[in-house]
Amino acid sequence: MATLAAPRVLARARERLLRPRTLVAAATIAIVGYLALIPLVYLLWTTFSDAGGFSLGGFARAYGDARIGELIGNSLWFAAGSALLSLAVGTALAYFNVRTDVPFKALFFAASIIPLIIPGILYTISWIFLASPTIGLLNNLIEPIVGPGTFDVFTVWGMIWVEGLHLSPIAFLFMVAAFGSTDPSLEESSLMSGATRLQTFRRVTLPLVRPALLSAALIMLVRSLESFEVPALLGLQNGIYVFTSRIYQVLRSFPVDFAGAGALAVGLLALAALGVWLSNVLSRGHGGGTITGKGFRPRPIDLGRWKPVVGGGILLYFFVTVLAPLLVLLYTALLPYYRPPSAEAFASMNLDNFVAVFNLPSVPTALKNSLLLGGGAATIVMALMAVAAWVVVRSGIPGRQILDHIAFSPLVIPGLVLGVGIAFVYLRSPLPIYGTLLILLIAYCTRYLPYGMRYAVSGMQTISTELEESAQVSGAGWGATFRRVLLPLIAPALLAGWVYIFVVSFRELSSSILLYTPGNEVLSISIWELYANARFGELSALGVIMVLILAVLVAVAYKVGARVGLKS
Amino acid sequence: MSRRSALASLGAAGLLLLSGCGGAPTSGPAPGSDQPTAAEAVYAEVGALIGTARHDRLVELAAQEGNTLSLYTSLNADIADIVVPRFEQATGVNVEVYRADSETVLQRTLQEASAGFAGADVVETNATQMAIIASQGLTGDYEGEQRNKVNEQFRYDGWTPTRFNIFAPAWNKNLVNADLVPKTWEDLADPRYDGILSLEVSDYDWYMTLYGYFEKQGMAGADIDKLFADMVQGSKVAKGHSGQVELLSAGEFGVVAASYTYLTEKARASGAPVDDQPFVEPVVARANGGGLLRSSKHPATAMLFMDWMLADGQQIVLDNGLTPAVMPDGSDPLAGLQVLPVDVQQLIEEGNDWSARYDEVVRGGEQLPEK
Repeated sequence: MATLAAPRVLARARERLLRPRTLVAAATIAIVGYLALIPLVYLLWTTFSDAGGFSLGGFARAYGDARIGELIGNSLWFAAGSALLSLAVGTALAYFNVRTDVPFKALFFAASIIPLIIPGILYTISWIFLASPTIGLLNNLIEPIVGPGTFDVFTVWGMIWVEGLHLSPIAFLFMVAAFGSTDPSLEESSLMSGATRLQTFRRVTLPLVRPALLSAALIMLVRSLESFEVPALLGLQNGIYVFTSRIYQVLRSFPVDFAGAGALAVGLLALAALGVWLSNVLSRGHGGGTITGKGFRPRPIDLGRWKPVVGGGILLYFFVTVLAPLLVLLYTALLPYYRPPSAEAFASMNLDNFVAVFNLPSVPTALKNSLLLGGGAATIVMALMAVAAWVVVRSGIPGRQILDHIAFSPLVIPGLVLGVGIAFVYLRSPLPIYGTLLILLIAYCTRYLPYGMRYAVSGMQTISTELEESAQVSGAGWGATFRRVLLPLIAPALLAGWVYIFVVSFRELSSSILLYTPGNEVLSISIWELYANARFGELSALGVIMVLILAVLVAVAYKVGARVGLKS
Repeated sequence: MSRRSALASLGAAGLLLLSGCGGAPTSGPAPGSDQPTAAEAVYAEVGALIGTARHDRLVELAAQEGNTLSLYTSLNADIADIVVPRFEQATGVNVEVYRADSETVLQRTLQEASAGFAGADVVETNATQMAIIASQGLTGDYEGEQRNKVNEQFRYDGWTPTRFNIFAPAWNKNLVNADLVPKTWEDLADPRYDGILSLEVSDYDWYMTLYGYFEKQGMAGADIDKLFADMVQGSKVAKGHSGQVELLSAGEFGVVAASYTYLTEKARASGAPVDDQPFVEPVVARANGGGLLRSSKHPATAMLFMDWMLADGQQIVLDNGLTPAVMPDGSDPLAGLQVLPVDVQQLIEEGNDWSARYDEVVRGGEQLPEK
């Protein structure tokens, strides 16, 4: 009997292994693992070894600093504050946009994308010009009424404000996708059963979008812990030091203390792993999917008498996060050098900075490369993550959570370390990748894996298994089910992830600058060059141009995306 | 094998594979072997020549090398974009320029050297980074008439200055009256600068140099510490010299303690109400320079570039508001100024200590006076 059974078991195993779903899953795991493990292994290796072998010296140097407690405290306060603010703002905006008949919906689009496009340095400096106690325009505006220096951007609250607003588009993108794919009939039933709007929001709506909410919270917490521009430009002035100032400091020493920087990153990694685990555990309690087999059509809620209030709020938000910084940018771009508004200032305005930007020799190539890399990285990452999210959420493969953790790790690896890790491998690889555009594409795909993963996983977690099951019962194979059932359902989340990666990849600097070669310049390098040369007028002009170009491209992406998405 | 253990063993295998290569990858590149390279033979041969014979020989060899050059530099884009085309025009050499901040130029050079990848022929960047590259044995000797014209205290082993960064206080003329214009470094400790003085968070080389100067003047350590503490008291700490000058122009700061003079000049040229004249002396000067790599595939072209950069290139440096290493007429650009050179060797040996110390000093600046 045994001799007969063995071949049968083998044949069944082979058949299972060769099934398309297994092959696709294996290929995805292999690629994601390959991308994410190179910098991770490099990070761990440099952190735990020195010239003599295994060592924990990096930890001693990194955490031995007497002020490390204060740094972590400041960092957590700043990160938690920014995450909360962006989450609250992003969720509220997304809810009003998707679920209600709020006016000015067209503004949402701009509000959701423009703060992402404006480079962090420019966004922060705009806020210094707006809310510095000394030269802030907003302070000047209200000074006759309330006295000087009402707003002070150089405080932790100022930092939270700027970072929170700069990050809120991420939360918005997450939550729009989530609200777009939840069934409003549940809310309607709640309302009909006598619950108030607020109760319904708190007890029905929010739990329905919990996976997206948790994903967004996680990403934003880690992002703010890692944020560099805001603490550097706003915090230092009053001696507010954070975790990243310490990473910057150890990376600046010589020999560069990669072990120390690595030890700090490993701390973040542990925190992030905890976050991923927590987010998955809490989402599991979510009950497995809000999109079920029943058809639904999101119907906007009538805001009634609240409509003008909410509309006013939206206008105010749009003014504060988009229009004011953008106007400051435009104003700076039109001046030879920045000075507070006056008749003289307006008289000195001209278009020289815009002309200068167009005459920069590297800008056309850089723009082309950035578009290519942004589009390429966004498409590759979201395609991989659509499958990876299925592996993590649905496949039942043992150990699948590890994939989630590995894909999240690039988020906490400092850009320079990631770049050095990638350079290290491809300098020694026989493949001619070092010194080409391809190495940048690899770096970008690696850097943005975590975002892609969170967007895709949160999308997948809102879909009920019954849809897949009914497709399979009806005879569809895994490929057809994935392509024709799952993909259209998670399309809003995938599109949101795509837009996010596409836009922020224009800002990636720390690994780009190490890995690019002449002829392969990207836009972030042009931005850095203008910044390093103190050419703020031209930098602002380039910022304005980027906002225009990217806003148009993202609008096109949404139009195209809407065709494959749920709403078709 | 389950997926979990498969993934775990994949990671472990990767780690083992990598650690099999030896110590940590960042513990520094293996110093170049002592055997002279082919490039060094060229540097030695041509280094002994002068005048037209040298130039002609370099042109001849450069043609054999294919008239191509790879340059890694932290020279600003707006100047590199003038320097490089002029050199190409003058010599017919095609130059590939990799431009980044000095720390990244250093990282890239070290990474490539450790992998035996011949990326750059010439590296041109800040003193500290150049000194590190030279101390790793990655650069060859560069001898010649032009090098001999550089101020003697800046003629380093393994690299040669091409321009200077000069630190001097800069002020906003609308906020600082004639009587408040600083005359000496000590002036900056005056409480009258509270609330308007700005320090930069990573200027420890400036701090180290000034500290040494005060010591030489016979000041006691405690007095020097008090001087800096008074400077920091009520100051606003900023990150990045270019942002600092922008905020000085906008009136957020009244005085920047140690501004790069070329950034101040650039802002002044655009009409901003900023000034740094007359310089507070002694000015603190840090060299930026170039080195010829031992691994260069185009050594003669590399040398041709350095020769040109220290001759015709200096005029472009001067015309664009930077301080050249050699004046176009061959004189010393720092002549007539009291100069404190940043001690590069001290930076390499004690830099981390001074960095940590400066960090402590500027933290004293966290309390702004109540408004």
